[in-house]
Amino acid sequence: MITLIGQLIIDGIVTGLVYVILAVGLVLILSVSRIFFIAYGQFYMLGAYIVWSSLALLKVPYFMGLLMAVVATTLLGLLCYQFIFRYIQYRGSFLANIVAAIGLMMIMGQAGLLIFGTIGRSVPPVFPGILSVGKISIPVEKLVLVILTLFIAVAAFFVYEKLKLGRAMRAVSLNPEAATLQGVKTNRVYLATLGFGCALAGFGGGVMAPVYVIYPEMGSNIILSVLLVIMLGGMNSMIGAVLGGLVLGITLVFGQYFLGSMAQIFLFVVIGIIIFFRPGGLLGSAGLDI
Amino acid sequence: MAVQDWTYRLNNFRGKKLIAIAFLVFVLIGIPFVIHSPYYIHLLIITGMNAILAMTFIMMLRTGLISLGIAAFWGIGAYASAALVLKAGVSYWFALPAAPIITGLIAWAIGYLVVRNPGFGFLILTSVIGMLIGLVFGNIKWLGGFTGIEYIPPPNPIQLPFLDPILFISKIPYYFLMLVLFLLVFISFRALYTSSIGRAWMAIGLNPHLAESTGVNVFRYRLIAFVIASAAAGLEGSFYAHYIGSINPNAFNIFKTIHVHIYAILGGTGFAFLGPIIGTFIMTFVPESLRIAKEIEPILTGALLILLIIFLPGGILSLFDLRHRHWQSFEGVIRIGKGIKNSPSSSEQRNEENHVKSERLK
Repeated sequence: MITLIGQLIIDGIVTGLVYVILAVGLVLILSVSRIFFIAYGQFYMLGAYIVWSSLALLKVPYFMGLLMAVVATTLLGLLCYQFIFRYIQYRGSFLANIVAAIGLMMIMGQAGLLIFGTIGRSVPPVFPGILSVGKISIPVEKLVLVILTLFIAVAAFFVYEKLKLGRAMRAVSLNPEAATLQGVKTNRVYLATLGFGCALAGFGGGVMAPVYVIYPEMGSNIILSVLLVIMLGGMNSMIGAVLGGLVLGITLVFGQYFLGSMAQIFLFVVIGIIIFFRPGGLLGSAGLDI
Repeated sequence: MAVQDWTYRLNNFRGKKLIAIAFLVFVLIGIPFVIHSPYYIHLLIITGMNAILAMTFIMMLRTGLISLGIAAFWGIGAYASAALVLKAGVSYWFALPAAPIITGLIAWAIGYLVVRNPGFGFLILTSVIGMLIGLVFGNIKWLGGFTGIEYIPPPNPIQLPFLDPILFISKIPYYFLMLVLFLLVFISFRALYTSSIGRAWMAIGLNPHLAESTGVNVFRYRLIAFVIASAAAGLEGSFYAHYIGSINPNAFNIFKTIHVHIYAILGGTGFAFLGPIIGTFIMTFVPESLRIAKEIEPILTGALLILLIIFLPGGILSLFDLRHRHWQSFEGVIRIGKGIKNSPSSSEQRNEENHVKSERLK
């Protein structure tokens, strides 16, 4: 029994860490640029597919493929801002941002389906082997995933809290007009935020590629869980995103083991109860103003 | 003093609008006698249904709530009606009014949770509801699971004295039923917009903090908008289930809601009724006549959305409406320039009245 619970907790942490990476990126985009970036899941899908195609077609090493995925999604994120959101952002219109993001999601989702086909793909295991601690066994690739994810999460926090860019991001997220008056170039901050967020999504997809199956709808499927994580942790709190991701991962793994496919509905009920008492999520302040 | 020139009078002449609406209704009644093709009648019925969904979207938008879960409540109405007729064995004419009531009650329970948290919270929670609804219906074995409910009977025949009973075999009775439902929703929405509830919604849409400070219960009025919009969507769901004859959980996914958004935005979100009708009409008839392949349809729709929001954020109707400049009214959350100008609480008018009063006092 203890073995089972330990195994489930470790699985939950591994699942949750992918959510953490995605949720940190999305929280960044939501709180700084105020774009409801629902196309975010497609960047995750794109990252996974780039790793798969670079390993299967170009025969490059795994970390090279991961780097390519991150670079490609970053570039695409920058292009999205430069060609779409730049013309909308200055209006300060909430609906316009959502609608543009929805259009992007539809285009990218369908393009992925047409280019990569409906068949599920899987990357050959990069780090074979199983590590055993007592009776609990951990595949090495999941361990590598945990280490990489933690590394990137710390890097993201370093950028957000210590660098000048991060300070500008925090200023813009507090009040864009005041930040502009202080000499922050808001347009560049938005650009950097979108690029950084999309890089995190591509990284999440690339890290996950050797562990799970890759299929075109995975982007649309994971965005639901990521949104739940953000709702749970708080919409403007990165620590909240980490906490929410881990809680959601562990709850989902336990729920799937004991409840089957009703797990997500059960999860929504639990999150509903939490939000009823704390409208802003666990760590966020109530209601991000729009 | 008062700006009572002839353009002002013409623009505020209410009879003009009434005549236009009466004429439109007359044309709509006449259509089945002129067009005999069931295909076009079908497209018109679908247009009416989607236009009502787009109207519910605008109703919520005007209070600052952007819902991504409209299709979910549409689906709840469809399932409620189908289950009432098939499992409980009641008449369709009982299920039709019962479906919006059930949907409204569910929306009230959900709304108590989601409307508390406007802005991003509402958006995220409704999109999660929109994505989960297929899973919820799919997991209920009693409602047919993922295959959905099939062989939903058409509405019961209407027995009229001295006339043949109206049977729901061809498309034409469905067309008139749709027209009746459409007018019902139109009249009730219009009554709501002009009532005190509508004025409270307008105040919330303009500035929720200011509205709250002047004594409007923002949460309560937003909840009312959410429940009424969801109930109207449920009414349409009931019609849809019995018109198409089968429902499955995947029909009510988030992409349906996105299409509803496109209808409203294409027409113009500044127009509560004409915008959805025009937008839905274009989006229903143009792709059908161009016969666009199903594979690239989402790509074209997405591109249309992005282009529309960059170049024509006020919708098609803003091109013809030079007085109010609705692309400006699109900025911020939503500003209803037209509604405010015509409302009795308009600051311009109030200033005029005060001016008249002070003149009189002198």
